[in-house]
Amino acid sequence: MIGFLGSAGMALALLGAGLLTIRGIQTARSGERRNLEGAGRLFVVGSIVAMAALQLALLTDNFSIVYTANHHAAATPFPFDVATAWAALEGSIVLWGLVLAVFAWFMVVRYRKSPDELGAAALAVIGAVGVFFFGLMVTVANPFEVCVQAAEVGCVESSPWPFSSVVAPADGPGPNPLLQNHFMMAIHPPMLYLGYVGLTVPFAYAIGALALGVPGPEWLRRSHRSTLIAWSFLTVGILLGGWWAYEVLSWGGYWAWDPVENASLMPWLVATAFLHSAIIQQRRGMLQAWNFILVISTFALTILGTFLTRSGTINSVHSFTQSSIGPALLGFLVLVVVGSFTLFSFRADIVSTSPRVDSMLSREGAFLINNLLLSVFAFVVLIGTTYPLLVEAFTGTQVGVGEPFFNRLAVPLSFLLLLVMGFGPVTPWRSATWAQILERTRVPIVVALAAGLITALVVTRNGWVVLSITLGVFVLGSISGLASHQIQRRTAKTGESYFAAARRVFSGDGGFWAGQLSHSGIVLIAIGIAFAANLGAHLETTIEQGETIEFEGFEITYESPFFRATDSKRTQGVRLSIHEDGQFLGTLEPAANFFGDSDTGISTPDVLHGLRGDLYATMLGLPSEGSTNLNFDTSPLIWVLWLGGLTSATGGFLAYRARHRERTGRSDRQTADV
Amino acid sequence: MNSKALRWTGLGIAAIGVIFAVVLASRFGTNPGLVDSPLLGEPAPQFNLSPLEGGEPVALDSLQGDVVVLNFFASWCPECRAEHDDLVSTANAFEDQGVTFIQVAYQESPPASLDYLVTAGRAESTLYLADPGSRTAIAYGVFGIPETYFIDETGTVVGKIIGETDALTLGATIDAIKRGEDPGQKVTGSTQQSPDG
Amino acid sequence: MSNTNRLFAVAIAVMAVALVFLMSTFESDTDRVEQLGQAIKCPVCQGESIGDSPAQMARDMMALVSQRVDEGASDQEIVDELLASYSGAVLLDPPASGSTLLLWLAPAVVLVVGVGVILWWRRNPTEATQPEVKEEKPRKLAPILFLAGSLAAIVVVAGFFVQDRDGPNTGAAAIDTDNLEEVSNETMEAVIAANADHPEVSGMRLALAERYFEVGDFSSAFPHYLEVAQSPDASDPQAVTALVRLGWMAWEGNREVDAAVGLFDEALAIDDTSATALFLKGQVLWCSATDLDEAASLFGRVLEDPTLESDTRSVVESDLDALNAGAACT
Repeated sequence: MIGFLGSAGMALALLGAGLLTIRGIQTARSGERRNLEGAGRLFVVGSIVAMAALQLALLTDNFSIVYTANHHAAATPFPFDVATAWAALEGSIVLWGLVLAVFAWFMVVRYRKSPDELGAAALAVIGAVGVFFFGLMVTVANPFEVCVQAAEVGCVESSPWPFSSVVAPADGPGPNPLLQNHFMMAIHPPMLYLGYVGLTVPFAYAIGALALGVPGPEWLRRSHRSTLIAWSFLTVGILLGGWWAYEVLSWGGYWAWDPVENASLMPWLVATAFLHSAIIQQRRGMLQAWNFILVISTFALTILGTFLTRSGTINSVHSFTQSSIGPALLGFLVLVVVGSFTLFSFRADIVSTSPRVDSMLSREGAFLINNLLLSVFAFVVLIGTTYPLLVEAFTGTQVGVGEPFFNRLAVPLSFLLLLVMGFGPVTPWRSATWAQILERTRVPIVVALAAGLITALVVTRNGWVVLSITLGVFVLGSISGLASHQIQRRTAKTGESYFAAARRVFSGDGGFWAGQLSHSGIVLIAIGIAFAANLGAHLETTIEQGETIEFEGFEITYESPFFRATDSKRTQGVRLSIHEDGQFLGTLEPAANFFGDSDTGISTPDVLHGLRGDLYATMLGLPSEGSTNLNFDTSPLIWVLWLGGLTSATGGFLAYRARHRERTGRSDRQTADV
Repeated sequence: MNSKALRWTGLGIAAIGVIFAVVLASRFGTNPGLVDSPLLGEPAPQFNLSPLEGGEPVALDSLQGDVVVLNFFASWCPECRAEHDDLVSTANAFEDQGVTFIQVAYQESPPASLDYLVTAGRAESTLYLADPGSRTAIAYGVFGIPETYFIDETGTVVGKIIGETDALTLGATIDAIKRGEDPGQKVTGSTQQSPDG
Repeated sequence: MSNTNRLFAVAIAVMAVALVFLMSTFESDTDRVEQLGQAIKCPVCQGESIGDSPAQMARDMMALVSQRVDEGASDQEIVDELLASYSGAVLLDPPASGSTLLLWLAPAVVLVVGVGVILWWRRNPTEATQPEVKEEKPRKLAPILFLAGSLAAIVVVAGFFVQDRDGPNTGAAAIDTDNLEEVSNETMEAVIAANADHPEVSGMRLALAERYFEVGDFSSAFPHYLEVAQSPDASDPQAVTALVRLGWMAWEGNREVDAAVGLFDEALAIDDTSATALFLKGQVLWCSATDLDEAASLFGRVLEDPTLESDTRSVVESDLDALNAGAACT
């Protein structure tokens, strides 16, 4: 039954996406304002039905659906049963399709309000992407295959036809234990997908504009808010991914330059570059060609990331099991890259419209440097991730590329980016002089250097930490300097109170100030990373029951071992009590989780969060005979990193709101003019 | 930037994309975690390991002249349990043929391995050795177990089987070595990487 | 430059120098073991270094690294030792030489090209085409999107067909009865011992027994024929072959006529047209002079088989002639 429902949903969505493409093309060609709402509705309703059917299958333990049989167990508790819908390959494509359909629906709504060729062409493009993903679903990654031959646990043979004679295994093996270990699994992937898939929208408008030959920043205006929302969700998604790794993966880190992490970082970096260069095109009409290149690259990188993590060609912590979806995704990637860039070169005459930069010493210049640095950064991640593959393909030898390589290049690039971030916002458009810039930044620079000196004298002389504080304070200083300057000017001019003036200033150019909030978030991220990575301590030790050890000012006492069991898992661990200066701070329970019948334990760390930083405890092996082996790590100020990520994403959402208000404001004005 | 340059830029990026994709496509069907052991064709790393129950250590060079089958196992590894009977029967079948079977416990305490061998059974002639600190496993480049290395009469590593093996594969590999062939590396199944997941 | 600016510039320079000096006096307390630990990938983990991973193998490797450092080995020596057993894939910090040189150069090249493009672009002002200048919109959208759509469809369909190409790795096949020629008797013995309960082992057992039989090693062949003859899993032709061989060995080895005839009869009970069973039973009856008429009729039944090969037929015919002529068996 659910098989029918799900298959019907997929078929509807596929049909809707196909119709959207065809009717979109017809509209864009003929210029008649055709109604695209029906197709869009079919697309989104079909996707919702498909996802609902999948959820229903999981929540009702319907093991006749192969996906349920192989990735779910009757004992899997809430919310992991819900999250299982995107924990494995086929389900993750359903989520992908759903998010795409929702974004397409917003485009349809917008098209309904002001129908034109560009909107229709963009809908045709997003429809075509939808056809691809739902095409994958009904062929190589069908989540609604039914089980025709059951194993003891799970399903051995399946059929894509829901009317086959169906058998249901008694139970399934449950989701991957690592994914069952933290509730974050329920929200991290949807956030990431909202970002990842949302980047299809600017791509669709870009391709639409190229295909129609509509020059100018109109496609940017249409897609700017989608880009902002996608960027913000992608930021949250990456942040939550790091947090999940930190809380679950028991090595005390949050970022390992793993291919899957890199796959999400690359589009983020390029999208960030795009957000900035889009501003230049909108304000100065420059960089049109570059914006097309960036937006196509962003989309291509999301497909590349999807390919890398789902084709089984790269080893990674969270790569999905090897699957036949690889060739299809690679083919689609080729299609996107070749198709888009060929179209781009055919339209070279309309994209080369940029007036030149008057001086590199200008806001435009700062944006250019920012774009260059971000592009190089993205390239570093791309080549580092794929280099082992390339070398193996050409020479047959194995090379490893890991954290040291990425850090060595990413850290200097990030510091340079911080530097540009400090100068950029205070640099005037068009042309500036060094004296002008120095006048605007001299106070922040002196404050920043003072902060750096204090850090070096009081905290540590570790260069990375000192530099992160110095550059961070510089960026924050130049932002607040600019803000207070504008507010004071306004109070002087209008005589308003300081707060009223501040409100006026911030809401007057909401997009800009939201961007500065995101910059502040990036600063916090940099400081958090610098502290946690450089000032953390590590201890591997054996403690007897009742014994107390001292570590970085913490008094850690091994209270007792413990054992807990629920339907889905057994937990064996040790209880530690943590004191600082005799004052009780809390208990830590590092443990190993055993899911289902598995006798393989999944090590699960426990973290004591604090303002000074975290104390991170991992159990090494199982406790025995009154003693236990433990790993302890401290991560100083790591909360600053999480706070920074949230701040940055908040900035993105606020920018979205500000642009929204700008647009509606403009349309009000236009109505008034009429 | 003029439109001609842009045209070529676009086509250039498209071309790079195609080349990149072709390279990626060439990786289909290969196992990304699989590394050809650099030990193949090299002298086998020496070791001097005590039997699980203790006693006189066994040195690899004392077995020169024999074909040595070196298997890394543990009771926590399902694939190892599955192949155990085949290792025992092959060891028995080749008992007097100048072939020595060595099974080295991987990341497991000797008592646990011995308990396991009581129920799983052992071959009379096989040496069951302990590897404190995983030194021998590291020297042989073990990525996961079961892994089985084949060392010829001259002490050179000539073969490696990754994953669950069986008597036919083991026997055929030994036969090939005795004929003077190099069996090389072969993947027969998945491996377990560590007892704690 | 204003005086204030000048003052600030001096202050900034002094503070920056002081800061750089302070940072340069920093001595990292991460020792060589930790640094090496960060640069080596834990082979049993995914992407984690041995310094980070809590896995037992990673900690054993850290212990080894630490011991080698204490013994005075250089970083390069330690890395080379691990490379000797694990290959370059365990390095997280690829060297700026050999096959990974390009990895380090490429970002620099991209940076230089990027700077070059910006400078070149600044020097070459572009013909500024205004958006409004654009006249009639080309209607080339449809063919392009149609092309894209059909390509997408092809890709999906191709992917669908490709999916069966590499199925899941099913691990080692239990018994492979093809290509047994290269396998030694010991290997076959081992395989059979390891798979004694396997329903498909009879074929291999029979093949091994036939090898022993051909070289006259009846004592090695006997138990295998017996197993096959008694195995409920053996196919009928396998059982017939085994029974016939057992019967012949009983006669050839021990001249046990009754036992041999009994075994042939068992074989004939399974397949009463088996030419070998009929012929050999006839041979035994003839040679032992037990029942010459029966022998003659058995030979006759063999010759009734139209599928009999011609050279076999001639052998049987000549034997029948000899028998009818009253000659002793050959």
